[in-house]
Amino acid sequence: MKQIFLVLKREYLTRVKKKSFLLATLLTPLVLPTIIFAIVYFSTKDKDSRHDEILVLDESGYFSEVFDASGYDFTYVTGDLEERKKTFQTEGAFGLLYIPSLDLSDISVTRFEGFQFYSETNPSIRTMERLERSIETRLEDLKLQRSGLDQDIISKLQVNANLTTYNITEEGEAKESNSGLSFAIGYGTGFLIYMFIFVYGSQIMQSVLDEKTSRIVEVIVSSVRPFQLMMGKVLGVGAVGFTQLLIWIVLIATLSTVGLGILAGNSDVLMEAASQQVPQEALTQQQEMAAKITAMIATVPVTKILLCFLFYFLGAYFLYGALYAAVGSAVDSLQDAQQFMFPIVIPIIASIMAMFFVLDDPNGGMAITLSLIPFTSPIIMMARIPFGVPDWQLALSMVLLIAGFVGAIYVAGRIYRIGILMYGVKVNWKIMKKWFTMKV
Amino acid sequence: MNILEANHVTKRYAEHTALNDVSISIPKQSIFGLLGPNGAGKTTLIRIVNQIIMADEGQVLINGEKLEPKHIGVIGYLPEERGLYKKMKVGEQLLYLAQLKGLSTPEAKRRIKFWLDKLGLYDWAGKKVEDLSKGMAQKIQFIATVLHEPQLLILDEPFSGFDPVNANLIKDEIFELREKGATVIFSTHRMESVEQLCDHIALINKSQKILDGPKNDIRNSYKLNQYEVTFKGTLQSGVSLSVLKEEVSDMGLNKAIIESKNGESPNELLKELINKIEVHSFVEIIPSINDIFINIVKGGQS
Repeated sequence: MKQIFLVLKREYLTRVKKKSFLLATLLTPLVLPTIIFAIVYFSTKDKDSRHDEILVLDESGYFSEVFDASGYDFTYVTGDLEERKKTFQTEGAFGLLYIPSLDLSDISVTRFEGFQFYSETNPSIRTMERLERSIETRLEDLKLQRSGLDQDIISKLQVNANLTTYNITEEGEAKESNSGLSFAIGYGTGFLIYMFIFVYGSQIMQSVLDEKTSRIVEVIVSSVRPFQLMMGKVLGVGAVGFTQLLIWIVLIATLSTVGLGILAGNSDVLMEAASQQVPQEALTQQQEMAAKITAMIATVPVTKILLCFLFYFLGAYFLYGALYAAVGSAVDSLQDAQQFMFPIVIPIIASIMAMFFVLDDPNGGMAITLSLIPFTSPIIMMARIPFGVPDWQLALSMVLLIAGFVGAIYVAGRIYRIGILMYGVKVNWKIMKKWFTMKV
Repeated sequence: MNILEANHVTKRYAEHTALNDVSISIPKQSIFGLLGPNGAGKTTLIRIVNQIIMADEGQVLINGEKLEPKHIGVIGYLPEERGLYKKMKVGEQLLYLAQLKGLSTPEAKRRIKFWLDKLGLYDWAGKKVEDLSKGMAQKIQFIATVLHEPQLLILDEPFSGFDPVNANLIKDEIFELREKGATVIFSTHRMESVEQLCDHIALINKSQKILDGPKNDIRNSYKLNQYEVTFKGTLQSGVSLSVLKEEVSDMGLNKAIIESKNGESPNELLKELINKIEVHSFVEIIPSINDIFINIVKGGQS
């Protein structure tokens, strides 16, 4: 035990003392939101600033002034379609929308054909949807008018309904829930686990490889059992990840509390800052919003999610960390590692891809299956938990994950103890299997 | 008293047997040469003693006790494939390695200072290993091996990669450690490099021990009763001696290799020689370990 601790301590301290660790840990919670903000900002800004022209050749005459796909300017033109097709590009327009003459006299006709769009490059799906939507809405309005309803009644007929979701707690209490927030939490925690496996898994592999290539490993294993060395390494690098995570949680919690605090109305400060330019109404609105957000967060079972997250985070880390260590021990260089990385990376990537479907249908068959298999359960179960998971599934999944990582550590340990002493061996799966069964 | 005894140690791998029924005894405070060509099984034996791998059969005794994890602190091992953490500072690295061997932090620090001072590396304690010259790194490796004052030092191919100056320095340190009570095992395929250092040797070839014992006894027992003589005059084979080879040496002297026919003593040979020629030198030819090894291996083949 003392040996494992010594190895752990070295792995931990050499990493935590690095400047790059400090930078990554302190800057990520600041940089990440900034990047997200920048992407959102520029993508909206880009759209606003681009003013491509779309020519509309409307032979029906019903569509003047209906189009409003942001990012484009619409110019209504007349003339022959064939002629326009040839010339619209030289006139500097992005696209040409052709609307044929339409017969709306028969109200039972629901299908209209003949709308055409010409352009050099494909417009985005969003643009196409907006154009279609505009055409459809206009046609619907026209048909409603033809059927004898006036505009006033039509607008009165349009309603808006919101569904409020509640989760029944074990005490039978109905709690307002929020799928959007569940989605965000499920996605966020799942993605964090995904990221940590990759970042810290490859750090373990690198660390094992370094000991091999620097030829210190035989010195070390003359005083430490290879298994102790491997576990010390996995735990040490894991502790680094854990430290980073804790700092992030504290930083993000502090930042968001401060953010909410400002939003909620430290009214005095806001009032002063706004120097009475902000109307009182806006302030109370902000306060309401902050109160809503706070209330929404209060509906989430924070403790449960946090505990589950820690469990799956550690489980995933041990499972994959051990496998990464085994790969590192088997090869002589990073390039050689590629072929063995593949089967390890596949389930991780599959999990993150499946996560989107799981978030869509958190209690579907695929979601349940993948949240039980140890290789995928950490990411998938985290995606499910905010939506509510039956206790037996959670318990089974946890038991299987524990079995999974114990098994992975066992397999990895057996490959590791041989691999670290092998130089210049062209390793393949057969050789690895042999190492696994070999006596030491 | 033997510090190390290996009894009938066998280690098999899937395709080959790395060690086949090898038994050796290493007396306390000896300098023991574990000799043999590459691939003979030396490193396998050493790894078994270091508990890096385990023997399939046979047992290893340290100071008469069955080999156990606690004996890690008794042994200092400098492997053939050796290195250091490049990004770690010299002092921290030595401290880490010493702690792994079970030294307490203050004791380890004291000894690190002592050794760095002794080998003139004290100013480098705060430097990273990658900033050190190769020779310095080798000295650090040696310090790491002896920091915990092991009773048994195992050095696998110790002088490969050492420059001559460092090699001599390390040799001196090794002798000093032996004076203080340590036992040293040299493992090498370059037999001539350690021959004069060792007092005991074992020859290993193709996973088997072919010879062991005190070096001088071995060399004596493989004496061929041959002598090199430089002389004036002409020499022919006689009653007790036969001339194997004769050549003209410089300064008007001749040189010959003679052999006693019936195991006559050097004195008896000299008596006959003095009557025939003017003897300028008379030296017994004692075969080197390398010669003995080649002799045995060839003899085994034919």
